[in-house]
Amino acid sequence: MVENNLLSIIIFAPLLGALINWLIGGRLKDKPYGETFSGIVGCGSIAVSTVVAFYLAFAANGGALFIDKPILDHIWTWVQVGNFRADFALGMDRLSGIYALFVTFVGLLIHIFATGYMAGDKGFYRFFAYLNLFMFSMLTLVLADNFLLMFVGWEGVGLCSYLLIGYYIQLDEARRAAKKAFVMNRIGDWGVLMGIFLIFTLTGSISFYDKVVDGQQVQSVFTFVSTHLHADPFTWGAIFAGGLTSVGVLLFIGATGKSAQIPLLTWLPDAMAGPTPVSALIHAATMVTAGVYLVVRANAIYQFAPTAMWIIAVIGAATAIFAATIAIAQNDIKKVLAYSTVSQLGFMFLAAGVGAFVVAIFHVMTHAFFKALLFLGSGSVIHGMHHEQDMRKMGNLKKYMPITFFTMAAGWLAICGIPFFAGFFSKDEILYRTFAADNYFPQKPFPGEEILWTIATITAVLTAVYMTRMMIMTFWGKERFHDALPEADNAGDPASAEETAFATGAAHDDTSHGQEEHHGLPHDFKPHESPWSMTVPLIVLGILSAFGGLVGVPYAMSSILSTGEVNVFEHVLEPVVAKEAGESGHGAPAAESKAASHEPSAETARSSPGASSEEHSPEVVAKERGLAGLSTLLAVMGIGIGFFLFWKTPLRKMPQILADKWRLDEFYNGYIVDPITKLSTEGLWKGFDLGFIDGIVNGIGHFVSQVGNFSRYLQVGFVRSYAAVIILGALAVLGYFIYYGMKLVG
Amino acid sequence: MDFINENLLTILILLPVFGALGVLAYQMFAGREDNLKWITFGITLVNFLISLLLIGEKAASSSGFQFEKSVPWITAINSNYHVGVDGLSLWLVILTTFIMPISVISTWHAVEKKPTAFYIFLLLLESAMIGVFVSLDLLVFYLFFEASLVPMFFLIGIWGGENRIYAAVKFFIFTALGSLLMLAAIISLYYVHASVSSVGGTFDYVAIMKTMELGHLSFSGPLAATGTLMFLAFALAFSIKVPLFPFHTWLPDAHTEAPTAGSVILAAVLLKMGTYGLMRFCFTLFPDQSREFAPFFIVLAIIGIIYGALVAMVQPDVKRLVAYSSVAHMGFVILGMFSFTEWGMQGAVYQMLNHGVSTGALFLLVGFIYERRHTRQISEFGGLANVMPIYATIFVITAMSSVGLPFLNGFVGEFLIMLGMWKSSILSVTTTTNWNYIATMLAGTGVIFAAVYLLWMIQRVFFGEVTNDKNKSLSDLSWREIGLIVPLMFLMVFMGVYPRPFLDRAKDAVTQIQTRVMHQAGGEVEHAEVVK
Repeated sequence: MVENNLLSIIIFAPLLGALINWLIGGRLKDKPYGETFSGIVGCGSIAVSTVVAFYLAFAANGGALFIDKPILDHIWTWVQVGNFRADFALGMDRLSGIYALFVTFVGLLIHIFATGYMAGDKGFYRFFAYLNLFMFSMLTLVLADNFLLMFVGWEGVGLCSYLLIGYYIQLDEARRAAKKAFVMNRIGDWGVLMGIFLIFTLTGSISFYDKVVDGQQVQSVFTFVSTHLHADPFTWGAIFAGGLTSVGVLLFIGATGKSAQIPLLTWLPDAMAGPTPVSALIHAATMVTAGVYLVVRANAIYQFAPTAMWIIAVIGAATAIFAATIAIAQNDIKKVLAYSTVSQLGFMFLAAGVGAFVVAIFHVMTHAFFKALLFLGSGSVIHGMHHEQDMRKMGNLKKYMPITFFTMAAGWLAICGIPFFAGFFSKDEILYRTFAADNYFPQKPFPGEEILWTIATITAVLTAVYMTRMMIMTFWGKERFHDALPEADNAGDPASAEETAFATGAAHDDTSHGQEEHHGLPHDFKPHESPWSMTVPLIVLGILSAFGGLVGVPYAMSSILSTGEVNVFEHVLEPVVAKEAGESGHGAPAAESKAASHEPSAETARSSPGASSEEHSPEVVAKERGLAGLSTLLAVMGIGIGFFLFWKTPLRKMPQILADKWRLDEFYNGYIVDPITKLSTEGLWKGFDLGFIDGIVNGIGHFVSQVGNFSRYLQVGFVRSYAAVIILGALAVLGYFIYYGMKLVG
Repeated sequence: MDFINENLLTILILLPVFGALGVLAYQMFAGREDNLKWITFGITLVNFLISLLLIGEKAASSSGFQFEKSVPWITAINSNYHVGVDGLSLWLVILTTFIMPISVISTWHAVEKKPTAFYIFLLLLESAMIGVFVSLDLLVFYLFFEASLVPMFFLIGIWGGENRIYAAVKFFIFTALGSLLMLAAIISLYYVHASVSSVGGTFDYVAIMKTMELGHLSFSGPLAATGTLMFLAFALAFSIKVPLFPFHTWLPDAHTEAPTAGSVILAAVLLKMGTYGLMRFCFTLFPDQSREFAPFFIVLAIIGIIYGALVAMVQPDVKRLVAYSSVAHMGFVILGMFSFTEWGMQGAVYQMLNHGVSTGALFLLVGFIYERRHTRQISEFGGLANVMPIYATIFVITAMSSVGLPFLNGFVGEFLIMLGMWKSSILSVTTTTNWNYIATMLAGTGVIFAAVYLLWMIQRVFFGEVTNDKNKSLSDLSWREIGLIVPLMFLMVFMGVYPRPFLDRAKDAVTQIQTRVMHQAGGEVEHAEVVK
């Protein structure tokens, strides 16, 4: 067991930062250096986490990313009742190591960006306190060494998301969106909680790792699953059988909440009411990918739960295309990106569902780069446009905001999947693995893989189209800063809350922003490029979006240039994914420990030579290359369609049903929320409580008063008459008992 | 020191009584009423500090109780003044003594009429509540149980809101009905004991347990029917107190009308007398009946959880909303107890404490705003976070603890309760369907609804612009108010992060009760979860 107490610094530094900002930053907020103080504390604490995370991942104890065993840090025993134990203990293995790296690093960049973006805000210190608290929760989620502690982080990020979406508390949209996000997440959390109960029932443990605590041997859930349990059959019935498939489905319910998948997706677009750095950090790069983390973390369970995996793949693909169609019709720049995020998350789940767990994580990482970039870019645009978010009022911004334009262009090409940009490799691999799902799925064949692949392909084209539309409306064409909007203003739309907040001056002290009329920018208005604190993170993320994908170039492509295996990413993560039974002739599936027992060198990275040669056979490589060519073509086609449709007419009217998001919110409100409210008010409260129970209570009194001879006396009040009858009755029973007792004694 | 140690529980019971006499004497001789709150606060604080001595480990006697003391009381009917604590009652006693000073300060300015009487009732109530938790003689227990009703009745009836008389009478009748039946059962138990034991009839709980352990008395054989009747009488009394659905309608009225101190004590301590009684007396005296009726209680608990939450959601009055949330939370406690697993029962004990802290704090907070605005209607508020930021922050944290956010106290209890229910075998005795899973899943939805009703209330009360002019000049919390909420906040975090001292101390008592319930009656019940 490798232990390193530095691990706790990664999570506690942000917590400390949050406390300092809350307690001290609040007192300094009116001082001239107040913002500087809060900014330094906020960014500094994350910087500490980042440095420690990198140190542990690459250097300490041989580097968590390279050694076979996780680095553990037991802090205290949290709950211990009977044979159930949940430690407050952290663990960094290869999976959590990668997550910790990009969460801290992207988080740091976004914190720096936020010091520029939020400058002048009254609640500057509060904002950074929340943001640090979020980092604490997110890192706890990722580094937790058991399901329950992970759930702590899971709920914690939900809380911080609630606080940050509702950051502009004066705004109706913001508080509504905040509550919606929390409640929808809670629905998902229910699934996780039940999943944990079932895991404990099936395996007697909730730990992620094999370890020894207080002299007690604690067995990992996954080791137990791999060595003691068997794969469920691929049937619908397995879902309700109370076995691993049930676990898989329950956990996935949690994932749909956190990662905004069908049916719990509507909170994420509304969450754009929060400040833009929040959207970038929480609702694009980190928190929303927690669902993917959960599924990949539990891959040993999912490998034995083919039905659950199939459901994940189908929901993922369905969400991907559903959100993409909506994204194409949105006019708010953040809304486009929000739906795009939902759609990309769908891709990740599709990957996980077809068994490509490593690829899912790869896409999580590249997505973190380019989506954080796009969100921050949009933040820079919004900042430069004096808090205008409607793309119909933009245009030709590349002239005024060149750095923002070029960096965002990198993000745009990356998400479209233009070769060699980060998104290309990950998305292409997802498409390929979906196409070839049969080969990897534990329960061959994988029904409907062609359909899923077709959906994913269409979505890829749509992605290129809507992103191109966004770029054209924002950066190209003619300037529309002073144009009146063509139709009714989108007030009341949650995503525009932030802009309203600034417009009304509610959140801003800076009068130069606050007093401007919202829908009439001054006549001499010129957008401006953002300060360095905002552009530097953009540039760094731009570089990562352009080249970050090179860590995970698939063999089929790298082999064009060299013969060696250069897919560093896959190589690092391979041991995390339990090898499924049958694929390479293992009788019992090799769990982490088994796969990890291989020397971590390039030649033996694959868990078995058989699998390796099968994956790299000439036919497979040719097929993969062919598909890569196809997806490149599709990306270019999508961009082409985008230019064709929107270059001349950037304000082209889109179908109303898409602009209305398929009216899913209206459906939920009309058919779920309203009936429950009505039932509770009319049925339960007024009907049952006040009507029925209290009615009986009062009715008895009334009855007695009618029947009894002393009705005059009792009519004073029914409660008293009720008292009388009850006490008489009780006395009768009492008498009976005494009589009975006497008789018993004799 | 030895004297204190030997009579610790008696001191805890009597100190408030003498305090009440002192208050009376002060008022009579000094002719003033202005320092009463200081005196009362001092007495309750001292009582709290003394009660902390209970935490120190002391070797348990053979009966499993500590700080035991038994003095003959009415020898003719063999009733003793017999007190003692174990891991189950220990924390409830400390919760009581802890909540009392806080309730006293909470009414710093609010009591205008008859302050002397008010403080005397508070002190008498404290004695009665401690008495309930430490009595090991059923007759004495019954007396304390009833005695606690009287001060509360007057607290609601005299210092309550507009509808106080109705609420007070309703409260009294509901609870008195149940306890009268319990008295019948206690007397009956006396005679039953007399019929089987050479010792004769007794009210002494420890003695009765001993007779049962020796096999002379059991409610499973020929006495099963009698036992069922007695069990139901006990259970009804306690269920009304909890309150278990559908006996809950007295609670919202009582809570809403009671003065802040009354609501806090009612929620924090009085309701626990019901759950405590079920666990202490029903489970151990009538293990077979407890098992037999468990499905019934579990169903009612689940209905209560969902029902309480749904009705809380649509309440226009903040205090009523919190009251209904109590119904839901107490449903969880019942659920955990009747799972008869160590997790569930430990969770239930823990949840009693959590509910005391969190809901007590919520009632305090509602009281703060009521003192300022003299209304509790949600529609009267809006945007309070702008004018009262500290209040808003504390309210949100407290609400989160009530919602069951991890690392705050509510989570640990609810988690253990649901885990216990999930692993419970009590619903699967005659069927192969995993009803325990379904029960847990249904109860789990209560956790979702909790978020809905509390966050919705917070959204309407605290967020947004200040729409009502009356709210514009509200002052934020004073130091006194912050001072009395901070200990509760500290406990919320501490109990959420480090529950082990509480759980470990309660463990022996809980496992003892659990073993009794599950292993009585010749081990005919197959018990899945024996804990080492």
